[in-house]
Amino acid sequence: MSRALAVLDYGAGNLASLEGALARLNVPFVRFTEAAAVPPGVPLVLPGVGHFSAAKRALEARGLWELLQREGPVRGVLGVCLGLQLLCEGSEEAPGEAGLGLLTGVATRFVEPLKVPHMGWNELSQVKAHPAFPTEPSWAYFVHSYALPVSADTVDVCVYGAPFTAIAARGRVLGMQHHPEKSSAPGLAALGGATRWLLEGTDHV
Amino acid sequence: MNVAGRIIACLDVKRGRVVKGVQFKELRDLGDPVELARRYDAEGIDELVFLDITATDENRSTQEAWVSAVARTLSIPFTVGGGVRGVADIRRLLRAGADKVAINTQAVLTPEMIDEAAAEFGSQCVVIAMDVAKDAALGHRVFIRAGKERTELSLDAWTAEVVRRGAGEILLTSIDRDGTGDGFDLDALRTAAKSSVPVVASGGAGTEAHFADALRAGASGVLAATLFHEAILSPARLKAHLLAEGIRVRPVFESSP
Repeated sequence: MSRALAVLDYGAGNLASLEGALARLNVPFVRFTEAAAVPPGVPLVLPGVGHFSAAKRALEARGLWELLQREGPVRGVLGVCLGLQLLCEGSEEAPGEAGLGLLTGVATRFVEPLKVPHMGWNELSQVKAHPAFPTEPSWAYFVHSYALPVSADTVDVCVYGAPFTAIAARGRVLGMQHHPEKSSAPGLAALGGATRWLLEGTDHV
Repeated sequence: MNVAGRIIACLDVKRGRVVKGVQFKELRDLGDPVELARRYDAEGIDELVFLDITATDENRSTQEAWVSAVARTLSIPFTVGGGVRGVADIRRLLRAGADKVAINTQAVLTPEMIDEAAAEFGSQCVVIAMDVAKDAALGHRVFIRAGKERTELSLDAWTAEVVRRGAGEILLTSIDRDGTGDGFDLDALRTAAKSSVPVVASGGAGTEAHFADALRAGASGVLAATLFHEAILSPARLKAHLLAEGIRVRPVFESSP
């Protein structure tokens, strides 16, 4: 029997939608609010909407920040939206504050004349293959004011003014800047692919 | 490259059911919000706006129930508006699963709630709904209380203020054009679209060309109700027209979630 993903609940706004999408995909998951309760070895899902610093503080208060930092690369982790940015080295939204450092780069703010936030549907394109993202890149729904520059970890890019990282992966650390749970059928397919890859990988860890 | 123009369907909800007014008198029941939302998702609509026209406090639990049912089943973003009176209402709707909350009258009465909402939840989920009508002498003016009361605010001034206070999107409805099918109010749209936040045009859609006009005039999204409800225009046909006109929209996919 495959194990369930641990969805980390620290008050993030997109938790209910993300869980709804996982339920529709029949991907097993359990919600956890503190690190001590998370069973050993299971992959982690890090949702996120809102401010970088507020999210970091909420994760730290629950012991989840340390769990992510220490065990994320081994367990496997999927960060969504702000979750992706938290996995990186930091963000211009919180100057001087360190991110989890599991993915390359610091998120930077979109600047005018672009409308900020980058809100709406945009197209992804693949720059390298990764087994967690086997399906063809498609269109996805974005809502964000900060974005991760393209790096060696970039799997898919999206263009808003300039190219930025839409999907990133380093080993078992995965991140999606868009909202797969709000990106209709192609988004659900991508979310299902990534989460099943994380769960299957636990058999070998 | 820019983000795709969003095609948005609007649904009026009363006591947990989607309704449509017939000549301002009786309300016709169009069905369950969840069922209609799923249908629009499958048809290729990019986003939904639900306006709750139930004006009672007792509505709250009913509202939370349908909002959370929609959130569990829908895989495109949706905004909920109607009767939002304070930050507590916004928190309640976001917790129930709404992606964005639209504020109209109350934002004019207590504009500091925009700052509070943006600070607590982030600008991305704070939508300011503005109903405007043109006065020959004064230009576009903002109306509140479902378009019944004219304020002293010009469209220009109110747009600048809500953006400064942290609004993340403007839902601009033309009272003059609403229900006419004569096309969106492009003058009002151009004024609001000068701001740094996305503007959704509402009121007046009648043909595919009207949507193209609004997107070219600076709208980030275009909203219609009757055209889609009555299947006068399908999202697939509208998007095919816009793509042929060189306007970037998300293609309609064959499969549904």
